[in-house]
Amino acid sequence: MNRSILALFSSAGVIALACSTPSDPRVRADVPDRASFEYVAPVLVHRCGTLDCHGTPARNLRLYGAEGQRFAPSDVPKPKHEVTEEEASEDYASIVGLEPEVLSAVVADKGASPERLTLVRKARGAENHKGGALVRAGDDSDICVTSWLAGATDVAACQRGVKR
Amino acid sequence: MRAFVAFIPLVVAALAGACDPTQSNAVASLGDEAPGVRRGPLHRPGQPCLLCHDGTLGNPPAFSVAGTVYANPAPDTSPASGVDVVLTDANGATHTATTNAAGNFYVSPSEFQPAYPMRVKLQAGNGNPVCMFTHVGRDGSCAGCHTEPAGPRSPGHVALAPKAFDCSEQP
Repeated sequence: MNRSILALFSSAGVIALACSTPSDPRVRADVPDRASFEYVAPVLVHRCGTLDCHGTPARNLRLYGAEGQRFAPSDVPKPKHEVTEEEASEDYASIVGLEPEVLSAVVADKGASPERLTLVRKARGAENHKGGALVRAGDDSDICVTSWLAGATDVAACQRGVKR
Repeated sequence: MRAFVAFIPLVVAALAGACDPTQSNAVASLGDEAPGVRRGPLHRPGQPCLLCHDGTLGNPPAFSVAGTVYANPAPDTSPASGVDVVLTDANGATHTATTNAAGNFYVSPSEFQPAYPMRVKLQAGNGNPVCMFTHVGRDGSCAGCHTEPAGPRSPGHVALAPKAFDCSEQP
């Protein structure tokens, strides 16, 4: 009898383990805020989104905005720091899709060590980048992006960053 | 014999460059030379110069930056000759090239090899300069982006007028 009960509990345990959801980081990912990205997108387009760089659909990081490629077929590039709502959504999707696991870790750590992201390293010129160093660690554009990753977007830095 | 062996990698590299189908197709899409225009400084205005002038085989000669300046937006294709194209790279180094009768200008790598991003300013005579609003990120060919017709991925060809903004507005 005791053996039967033991076998029953053992079987139940095995079944429970087999049916449990594995701890898979792809199931849930922390992403930075979409709403405040509206302040970040113009900075990214301004620094990275020219037509010969990330303002082209062939790039993994592909950005839309007035200073580069436009999302709406009727729009054309123009000398304005303008990113439409539709373009910001496309830009956001591109950013969060680049390195989702690393991005999730950075966001979960409230923006600590943002240089874990290739996006940040390349922009700072800390990693080989055809477009060179586009920001310096601690300048307005850099603060704009890293504060967004930290969940506390520095809007003033973003507004200054787009003008330089 | 040693010299011959050392030469082999160069030949292989040259052949590999010559056999790039993407590059070959892009060159083919440019079409033939315009009737009556010989290969040279006046040929193929408005086309992406560095597509061929990439220095792969040494002929045609390599350019680091090159393009065409027009007097007005399309459909006008009048060239703007005698315009100084002032290039300023990320390190603050500058180089000035002047457009020829076809509106073309070109810079060889030995003259100027910019560190990107690079800024561009056009100066026609004593008039107010015209500045490109954005920087150039990586492509030395103006027509890599400035193609016709203008659309979501192109602002159209490079033109002196009408001025969209002056240089004081350049970020």
